Amino acid sequence: MPRHDSKPAEQPDGAPAPVHVLLVEDDEAIRRSLAMALERYGYRTSAAPDGLTGLEMFRDKHPDLLLLDVMLPHLDGIGLCHRVRETSQAPILMMSARGDSLDVVGGLEAGADDYVVKPVDTPVLLARIRTLMRRTAFTPPSAPAGRSPHDDGSVLAFRGLSVDTRCLEVRVDGRLLALTPMELRLLLEFVSAPGIVLERQTLLRRVWDYGWDSDSRVVDLTVQRLRRKIGADHIETIRGFGYKFRR
Amino acid sequence: MRRPTAPGTGAAPSARTAVHRAPPGRALRRLVDPRSLRWKITAAVAAAACAMALGIGVLVHHSTEVRSMSIGRAGALRELQAAQAEFRGHPSAGRNPAEPGYVTGDEIPDQLRDLLGSRSGPVTWYDTRKPAQGASMWAAARVDGTVMAVQTDMTTDLFSRQALDRHMKYAAIATLAVVVPLTLLAAEPVLRRLRRVAATARRIRHGELDARTASRHGDEIGEISSAVDHMADALRERLRAEQRFTADVAHELRTPLTALVTSASLLAEGEAAHLVRDRVQALRVLVDDLLEISRLDVGTEQAEVRRVPLGELVTESAQRTGLETRVLVTGRPVVHTDPRRLDRIVTNLVLNAHRHGRPPVEVTVDATSIVVRDHGSGFPADLLAHGPRRFHTGAAERGRGHGLGLTIAIGQARVIGARLTLANTTPDGAVAVLSLPPGGSQEL
Repeated sequence: MPRHDSKPAEQPDGAPAPVHVLLVEDDEAIRRSLAMALERYGYRTSAAPDGLTGLEMFRDKHPDLLLLDVMLPHLDGIGLCHRVRETSQAPILMMSARGDSLDVVGGLEAGADDYVVKPVDTPVLLARIRTLMRRTAFTPPSAPAGRSPHDDGSVLAFRGLSVDTRCLEVRVDGRLLALTPMELRLLLEFVSAPGIVLERQTLLRRVWDYGWDSDSRVVDLTVQRLRRKIGADHIETIRGFGYKFRR
Repeated sequence: MRRPTAPGTGAAPSARTAVHRAPPGRALRRLVDPRSLRWKITAAVAAAACAMALGIGVLVHHSTEVRSMSIGRAGALRELQAAQAEFRGHPSAGRNPAEPGYVTGDEIPDQLRDLLGSRSGPVTWYDTRKPAQGASMWAAARVDGTVMAVQTDMTTDLFSRQALDRHMKYAAIATLAVVVPLTLLAAEPVLRRLRRVAATARRIRHGELDARTASRHGDEIGEISSAVDHMADALRERLRAEQRFTADVAHELRTPLTALVTSASLLAEGEAAHLVRDRVQALRVLVDDLLEISRLDVGTEQAEVRRVPLGELVTESAQRTGLETRVLVTGRPVVHTDPRRLDRIVTNLVLNAHRHGRPPVEVTVDATSIVVRDHGSGFPADLLAHGPRRFHTGAAERGRGHGLGLTIAIGQARVIGARLTLANTTPDGAVAVLSLPPGGSQEL
């Protein structure tokens, strides 16, 4: 299961600035070991021992990614997630220590993009972070639907919703939407296959790079969040299969 | 740490955990079963009724006889008085002197003569020497030195007393004929309550820890019912406490383990680092398995059903174990099931086959079943008889692993409504057959 991958995500001396991860975790041993692991693989880390400190550090340092524990003193991971999402669409990865799945659901509803269960293998954690930080790419549909005649072909329009696949901008009735990277990638999967039923497993594979052993609630809850932003009628649930984007 | 008494993923393989229901015809068999309490109660009531009838019968018989005798005796003595007058020469009116109302000499029965002895009398004797012909009362006295006797007929009285005895017998039999079925009927509610206690105890045994008799009677059956209920309460509490303990232990281990897993991955390569990483991984699997089992034990796990291409899932699960496994898929089966749980089952079965059996490990997939087969020495007899037990790996060669894998596989199979059957094949090897619920499958 562990994919041994010793290649650093970003070279410390490479041209692009290292990815800055804010780590919020109350257990000191976990916090320190995770920070060491991430730094070993070329990430820059800041660490906070509780939710309030985490929020402050997030506002001060503008990290590229948040790695949050669910159970935190003062302000828990779910609360912190909510507060961060008020102003930022930075990717959030939750760490759940409980076998109980309720906090996972709570975290995903609050706006986390993915979660890992403690204890997490370092390669798995690195792979998740890489997935969240991956540049979003768009593959145009074979039969583009709803193409507006006025643009150069990069803007797809669907009943009030317009997706610019080049600038990666999404507008509802002309208003620009703030989407998290995972929400955007999920939406791009949908608009590239309008009218086609996409199975949850397919979406998990394409958007989150997951296999069969994964939790498809990640898809369900991200779809929920996406619907809240773009309007409920664009994405239809097909019971027992997955979702369909209406043309 | 824990005994395999928990019901959820419990010890027994699926075939043994089926709840025993009364087969048709069982009620009839129960009715005619001579060992049933119903017949014992009925026999006791019938015996009591018989004893009572006998007592009353004897009493009535005796007092009627006493009364008959005193009436008979009085009649005979009156006759004797009249006969004495006649003997002395005062024949009574209307009587023919040639046919006297008395007898003398040899006509007097010996018993009467012995009874009189040398006394002057009078004495009486009830004569039943020929009961079929009737009975009579004799009275005798000595008149002027001569023994004389009279005989009065009591046949009618004898026959009527015999008739009375007969009627009492009939009445007793008729009473029994009513009492026996009535007792059988009256015993039924009591027996039903007892059977309910037994049925509840059986349900608890099969894992329904919430089964209760809920009896509100104050009698002894009520007492045993509430004793069973309280026992079930205590049992459930104990079990829950144990389940909570397992879950808590696993949770508590997770925090230090998380730091350990990450730190171990940072160690510089080397033999020691390799050993540490390997053991940390083993510890991690153990903690994960314990948590999974404690969740399955609570019994609140729910399947998230999706449309799943069975062949692809099984192939991927087998590959992910990193162990060489042959997967054979017939057709392109698609099922509606929970892919994560199915993955857990397949992974555990394949790992188990590699750990405890010998290669080649083959997995065969068709429309509704997944068969995992190895070529080792097969499952131990104890495991086949009692199902997998936590931390019991059985025979010495099953050294690796901790016996949780099969427990998890069976528990997860129960959640997705599938049945896991374990068996040994000839000449060698263990076979685990996962039968998915029918109706969930379709060919693509």
